[in-house]
Amino acid sequence: MGSYYDIDAILTDAQKVPCTFDLDMPGLGYLDENAGGDIKAGTRVSLPLWLSTLLAVQRLGPSSQPLCTLDLPASISPRVLAALKAGPKTVDLRQLTSHYYELAARVLELFEEEEIVDVLSETFKERAAEIADHAHNPRGALGEAQDFLRGLDEMERQLFRSAHDSSNAMREWMGETKKKR
Amino acid sequence: MDIDDILAEVDVHAVPRQTQDLQEFTRAWVTERNAPEILPWPDALMQRILERIRRQIELVEEQTGNTDPKANFRLIIFQTELERFKFLVRSFLRARVAKIDAHALHHLTDPSTKARLSPSELQYATTHTTLLHAHYRSSFLSQFPASLQRMDDTAGGMSMVEGPDVDRAVFVRALKDVEEPVYVEGTDMAFEMRKGDVVVMRWSAVREVVIAGDAELI
Amino acid sequence: MYGDHALKLIQHAKRTQALAHLPHYQTELVRETTREVRDLDKDVSNILAPFQGSFNPSSEPATACSVLVNHLCMRRNKRCLLAYHRVRSDKLEEMCWSGKDVLDQEQQAGRQGNGEGSGMASEVGNQSSLSPEEDEYVRQYGDMLAAYKGQWTDIDLTGSLEPPRDLFIDVRVLRDAGEIQTEYGYACHSLTILCQEWNY
Repeated sequence: MGSYYDIDAILTDAQKVPCTFDLDMPGLGYLDENAGGDIKAGTRVSLPLWLSTLLAVQRLGPSSQPLCTLDLPASISPRVLAALKAGPKTVDLRQLTSHYYELAARVLELFEEEEIVDVLSETFKERAAEIADHAHNPRGALGEAQDFLRGLDEMERQLFRSAHDSSNAMREWMGETKKKR
Repeated sequence: MDIDDILAEVDVHAVPRQTQDLQEFTRAWVTERNAPEILPWPDALMQRILERIRRQIELVEEQTGNTDPKANFRLIIFQTELERFKFLVRSFLRARVAKIDAHALHHLTDPSTKARLSPSELQYATTHTTLLHAHYRSSFLSQFPASLQRMDDTAGGMSMVEGPDVDRAVFVRALKDVEEPVYVEGTDMAFEMRKGDVVVMRWSAVREVVIAGDAELI
Repeated sequence: MYGDHALKLIQHAKRTQALAHLPHYQTELVRETTREVRDLDKDVSNILAPFQGSFNPSSEPATACSVLVNHLCMRRNKRCLLAYHRVRSDKLEEMCWSGKDVLDQEQQAGRQGNGEGSGMASEVGNQSSLSPEEDEYVRQYGDMLAAYKGQWTDIDLTGSLEPPRDLFIDVRVLRDAGEIQTEYGYACHSLTILCQEWNY
């Protein structure tokens, strides 16, 4: 779930997912940009993870229903998943959402969706290999690679950065040992 | 074949205490820098190292001003060695402070972790935490309702007090044959470590072996 | 929507992490976020007041939901405020360790912004990118660090974390500095190295 003070974890939690209220909620209209109003049962509202995931698991009595039901966010809709399956490296994840994998991980904890998990792991693996390639080959940052690199989600960016830094550090170290001889 | 292997082959008792200490401390330094959690404070070893540094500084101070070119050259060697020792200790201490700062409350509340700090580290952690809380309080927290002012809440399935990630991967080399097979918690994996083996493993699985001195992090 | 101010703070914090310097303290956002918490808390009291302590969540699901949402918003704001301040205090501590005189630098920056002729410390403080609380924190942390360092005088705890390569460093003398006293007395044997740079 990420650490309490971790900025990226907090940003992950700010991402919104659609949820449907199962009961009339008087006075909660401000969640639906209708301040002072009510939320009717069946209303679909987009709520940040920090609010929606907890409402979705909260039960008020032993037999009662949860306060709201979550839906899968658009970023892991069948359309996006089909695109990822067809060409993992051509999808701009950042445009979908800045913390793509972490959002998916948080949502999928609450759903039984083995297939989505498989598609996303496969996507990450393929893209990670491509990222490593670009990070070790500085010329790759030009031209069409630029589009790919711009579409990295936050976790992938950090991966790119550390791969890039480590390859630089390696080169520096190799240069030093050569100099000594 | 590297220096460690050569050293390992030499009979331990034939190696002078000073060399042993340096080797031991270098190992402690590498391990401390690579392990995700703080390790027990090596009190006796640290005392010996610091004592040696102090003596060496005195020696250098005495010798400074000696105009004999031979003594002068020796002095340069002494100073170089001294600087390296000081660097090791400094880097070792700083690695520990970084871990303490990252999870200060955990280090103060978890008894087994707390026991691994030196007295001055414990004091540093306590003061730092107090200062930080006072800073939060004066900046905004004092205006919160009382029930929300705690720094160690666990509401909503999320604890405010966190420890380090003990399942992080580390590189380990066995210094001797480890008798008991190593079990990886939460899986049905177990493996044997023979002297010289290098494995990548989650820290929690090899922690005991490393602390016992049967293996080192690299 | 509740939590929006807090989110802005976090976005500031994210940018701060990537910067070398410390940007201005977001006094207004911190104030708004804190006020939101107090308002939400008042709301909860108002909602629960008619029940006089005998509130049963399962018979009043809608009310319970309001209370829960308010609570979650307060907790979220708290987390964001703490994380924001933590990012900044981490940066300040780092400056203390690297030996920068944070307060002095801040005052200089403040003086430049104020133009000449203003000498009052309080005026200078207004221009600073630190909040008064952060100012105080840096002072106290600096004192504590000095005390901790003092236990390791032989080691120089805030010294370089790069492994030493050469005993001597090259010094380019820009201005006649007169006689130089080093850690171990006069700079006699290092003069050769100093001399190499002397020609510049």
